[in-house]
Amino acid sequence: MTEETSNAKHGVPIWTQVVIWIFVVGLLGLVAFGLRRAQNPMAIVGKPVPDFNLVFYEGYEYNGKKEMKLSDLQGKIIVVNIWASWCKPCEQEAPDLQAAWQIYKDGNDVVFVGVDYVDTPAGANEYLTKFNISFPNAPDLKSNISSILNRQMGVPETYIIDRKGILQNIKIGPFSSVDEIKSMIQSVQ
Amino acid sequence: MIAEFGYGITLVSFLVAVYSVVAAVYGATKKSASLVESSRRGMLLTFPLITIAAGSLIYLLVNNHFEVAFVYEVTSRSMPTYLKITAWWGGQAGSLLFWSWLLAAFASAVTIRKWDRDIEFLPWVVMVCSVTLVFFLGMVVFYENPFTRYWLVNGNVEPHMFQPALATIFTPQDGNGLNPLLRHPGMVIHPPMLYLGFVSYVIPYAFAMAALITGRTDDRWIRLTRRWSLWAWLFLSFGLVLGGRWAYDVLGWGGYWGWDPVEIAAFMPWLTGTAFLHSVMIQEKRGMLKHWNMILVILTYALVIFGTFLTRSGVLSSVHAFANSPIGPLFMAFVSATLIASIALVIYRWPQLRGETEMKSMLSREALFLLNNLLFMSVLVICFWGVMFPLVSELFTGQKVTVGPPFYERATAPIFAGLMFLMGVAPLSAWGHSTVKTLGRAMWKSALIALVVTVILFITYTMNYIALIGFFLIALVIFVTAQEFWRGARARQRSQNENFFSALSRLMGRNRRRYGGYIIHISMMLMAIGILGMEAFQTSTQGELAKGDALDISGYTVKYRELASWDDTGKGVNFTRATMDIYKNGIYLGQLHPRIDYYFDSQQNMTIPGNRSTFKDDLYIILVDWQPTTAMGATFKIFVNPLVNWLWVGSLLFLVGIIFAAWPDRDPAEEISRRGISLSATQPSAAD
Repeated sequence: MTEETSNAKHGVPIWTQVVIWIFVVGLLGLVAFGLRRAQNPMAIVGKPVPDFNLVFYEGYEYNGKKEMKLSDLQGKIIVVNIWASWCKPCEQEAPDLQAAWQIYKDGNDVVFVGVDYVDTPAGANEYLTKFNISFPNAPDLKSNISSILNRQMGVPETYIIDRKGILQNIKIGPFSSVDEIKSMIQSVQ
Repeated sequence: MIAEFGYGITLVSFLVAVYSVVAAVYGATKKSASLVESSRRGMLLTFPLITIAAGSLIYLLVNNHFEVAFVYEVTSRSMPTYLKITAWWGGQAGSLLFWSWLLAAFASAVTIRKWDRDIEFLPWVVMVCSVTLVFFLGMVVFYENPFTRYWLVNGNVEPHMFQPALATIFTPQDGNGLNPLLRHPGMVIHPPMLYLGFVSYVIPYAFAMAALITGRTDDRWIRLTRRWSLWAWLFLSFGLVLGGRWAYDVLGWGGYWGWDPVEIAAFMPWLTGTAFLHSVMIQEKRGMLKHWNMILVILTYALVIFGTFLTRSGVLSSVHAFANSPIGPLFMAFVSATLIASIALVIYRWPQLRGETEMKSMLSREALFLLNNLLFMSVLVICFWGVMFPLVSELFTGQKVTVGPPFYERATAPIFAGLMFLMGVAPLSAWGHSTVKTLGRAMWKSALIALVVTVILFITYTMNYIALIGFFLIALVIFVTAQEFWRGARARQRSQNENFFSALSRLMGRNRRRYGGYIIHISMMLMAIGILGMEAFQTSTQGELAKGDALDISGYTVKYRELASWDDTGKGVNFTRATMDIYKNGIYLGQLHPRIDYYFDSQQNMTIPGNRSTFKDDLYIILVDWQPTTAMGATFKIFVNPLVNWLWVGSLLFLVGIIFAAWPDRDPAEEISRRGISLSATQPSAAD
């Protein structure tokens, strides 16, 4: 490579080369970083789910609390639904989830928690209003929750956690009916 | 038995590919013709070998060998045979073998000739193809083996390739079944089309690398691979269109393109490929932009591998992605290595790649082509930024933030408009030199007619000024291009004394690439009409209806008549189908049947819209939900998608145009020499 650097008139100037390489290496580094994030161990059905924090969106709460830990909900069946406002299949299941929540919310035995994955607050707000979602919803801050649950394919995904905090079931893709949600919850009870 | 055989053959083809790499490099550096020839033969051998391996896999798939993990994952007893065959590329492991098979096929097609005149390229072309093949086969052999079987070890079922001690084979009763979304005919051919496009781009890249390594940096490599890049582009474009059509028919969200990261991953090589298609012409005609063509072909190859990587590694959040897999880091390493090596080579050969001519006029055809390239690159940068943004934001702020479709739409729309304008201007400009005056003289009639069309649309159809600008540009390009056909045929008619139509057909036959390109431009404009219609005028409504209730939307009345649900045990599907009466302005038009199919084996469902399609608009109804107990109420989502049919019409014309341009007409070698002569003779003329 000394040939063309000495012949600056025709070759690529050294500083240009430096810029190019910094750019290329930076880019590859960025992708590698993303890859490392994606290589988390799998969330395993039948094992306890590690604890995480939930900071609910403005206007949402659970039993008067605006912030809680997953472990605060122990003793109840927890349905964690991961969604995003840009996700079209999520829109398909959103009315069903809300309808199912209407069935369970007064029983105080089943909790629905929406987790908004990779999104903007404005988009999320619009989505929640559009589908009249009333169960507590929280953003997935620093993609922490989805990395703990190990989002497997994309959104939507739903995780059913039993009263002891053990992951019992994972639904990949949207629910097709309220009955499907109900039968999944019943299978845990 | 068959599984071991298939695995063994795959392993052998992997070793043969490794040998080809070594023999090619050693042969080229030691100038040993016999070693190079040996590497070529090794390369040729991989194709029949992988074909046998693939044949074994297909045999296992078709004959319900569920003890093989891959067969269990992607097929079930209720699937028809053709779907069992296409399940070959329905899962990660099989699709990697499919990729390898295609690559071996293409590399063989290229190296079956001995390239006597270009013998110095041969070892390096073999080397690049074989290295890529080694990588893909290596993943099949070591990480994603489609021949792995289930074994019962101490009461547990485990997947292993070879029999563990004291284990017996475990055969599940029935397979998991292919994801129902992938059972649609569009989905059966969409991935192989994309793969074909991806893989064919390896060939131009291999020749480009050969040119860089040997230092033979004239336009020879471009001429040798011109048709490859056209076919690659054909397959890639067709794959993208099929994907869109499939999404429209099956996914049930009323659209065909959602700016999903994986869609963009396939779109990015298309962008560089399209830019490459245009800029190679400048190198051929004017000997310019040599650096640029190298960069484009390298980018295309890198994006092809990168795109394959993105869909399989889980790096990006997407509705498409495959399951997490251990091959992510390997892809990462391969992309990095090839990209770094290619860039280093370009930098090393930079002085030899200088253009033979200088740009003289900012309005010459080469300048406009360069501008076209820059616009394509801008779209690429926007797409790349959008795809990478969640990673960037996570790295710097800790919060993953995504950009949605509005970002892409807003950022790319003006660039697409610019590209359309160029499509209207560039065909009229001359190589070497053009002025505002010559362009204006050639253009004013078409521009005037386009303006009249726009005014008519303004009065009768829409006042949306962005849509009107779009329609103006579309009309401009169509008229300018039609005028080009007209002018060329008239000139020939006069000089050759032929009638108009035979003059036109001979003219087109003699300049396939040029007129094929024009057909593609017109088809792009038809597609643009569809896209514009969807973007600017789509309307939708949603509602829960009791039987006999109706919803109104954009002049249509949609009345819910009844709902039926039944099982088809033979197919393993439950169908729920609504019947809707459709009226427009009070006139009865017929019935539509949106439905939901539930597949028992994979426990997934599929939303099939009811769609009434006309050139004016599509009425597109989705059955969202129903009350199973009473069968009384059901929820529907209804879209009116104006003009979207033009998108599909344009796609068909697009295929016609590109096949016309890429059709092999003469023996390539003979043609190359012939063209070489005629080109130098006609170069000063501005006609082509």
